[in-house]
Amino acid sequence: MKSRIRNTQPSLGPQKDAPLLVQMGIFAAILFVSSLISPLFPPEFPVPTPVIGLIILYTLLTLHIIKLEWVEKFATSMIGFISFLFVPSGIQLAASLDIMKEQGLQLILVIILSTILLLVVVAYTASFFIWLKQVIFHTDVSVEEI
Amino acid sequence: MTAVQLNIMDFFGTPVFGISLSIFVYLIGMWLFKITNGFFLFQPLFVGMVLGIFSLWLMAKVFSVDVAWLYRHAYKPGGDILFWFLTPATIAFAVPLYKRNDIIKRFWLEIGLSLTIGLVIALFGIYWVCKLFGLNDAGIASLLPQAATTAIAMPIAEAIGGNSAITAMACIVNAVIIYALANFLLKAFRLTEPISQGLSLGSAGHAVGSAKALQLGSVTGSMASVAFVLISIVVDLIVPVFTNLMGITP
Repeated sequence: MKSRIRNTQPSLGPQKDAPLLVQMGIFAAILFVSSLISPLFPPEFPVPTPVIGLIILYTLLTLHIIKLEWVEKFATSMIGFISFLFVPSGIQLAASLDIMKEQGLQLILVIILSTILLLVVVAYTASFFIWLKQVIFHTDVSVEEI
Repeated sequence: MTAVQLNIMDFFGTPVFGISLSIFVYLIGMWLFKITNGFFLFQPLFVGMVLGIFSLWLMAKVFSVDVAWLYRHAYKPGGDILFWFLTPATIAFAVPLYKRNDIIKRFWLEIGLSLTIGLVIALFGIYWVCKLFGLNDAGIASLLPQAATTAIAMPIAEAIGGNSAITAMACIVNAVIIYALANFLLKAFRLTEPISQGLSLGSAGHAVGSAKALQLGSVTGSMASVAFVLISIVVDLIVPVFTNLMGITP
């Protein structure tokens, strides 16, 4: 389907993805600016580079300064990879095996409990606000399926 | 430095080893996950972490060197290259977030309030659980940012005095637990409302939580992917303030 559009419309159509290198260029520019901004925050209030980059890219997309097809393909392939990219941060634990030997069991138990806690607390808080919206303000909360 | 260590440096000092090891352990994980029809302990990332650490530990035993030393000199050069790509990959989540702008525009207040208030309550809970199990302040600081995605949680943990390796492990284990227990937990706590299901799965289970939420329905799924990105920003805003207030000074 896409290739047919490309054949009949050699000029830049609205559906056509930007070349991959251009998409990488946009990411590189955002990455560059974010890594310049990130160190400006005080150490007590750290704002990591990915947070700034995420906000910049989202803002540019929402303000329609960057079009979706300029970044979508590269973003999708990066996201497809992300689970694998976490492997080094997991293996990093090899440098802290002594901590795991001392406190490993406690840490794992605390992490399990924290996960359940996060799930339950966020779910009940959200249910409360949804209930508030429905019952007090009588707003429709149904969401379209896509 | 002994002769053995010098030889290891020659063999494994290049990034090739770290990158190959990461790929192979992850591929083994994918294979195990496939042949067991998705057994929860065989999530590729979790298998990759365990197998990777185990191979380094085994190599350290064979060469009779320290594991941490071997990690720094043999694995880290390659691992750091892959790790760097986590930043653009995390930024890329702005795209799916933008695609669900319809949901954000309608529910921004509910999403914002739920994630902020939910996180604050959960942080108190995590803090007390840590205290209960006798973790020190460095341990607590490592575990408080775990709701954020790994690339964001790690620098925050470092900044407030935690160990980012523990934080990364916490993020991975979160996903393992949510993958294994999501259905059971939602049923046990009678959480049936799709919006709150989505927000909670995205907050507690990161990307895996969002994938799990997608199985429950597209509303749950898109709420989860919105929550999974936004909770990271909320963690960044709240966790440093929380550590200051609670006087956690590792």
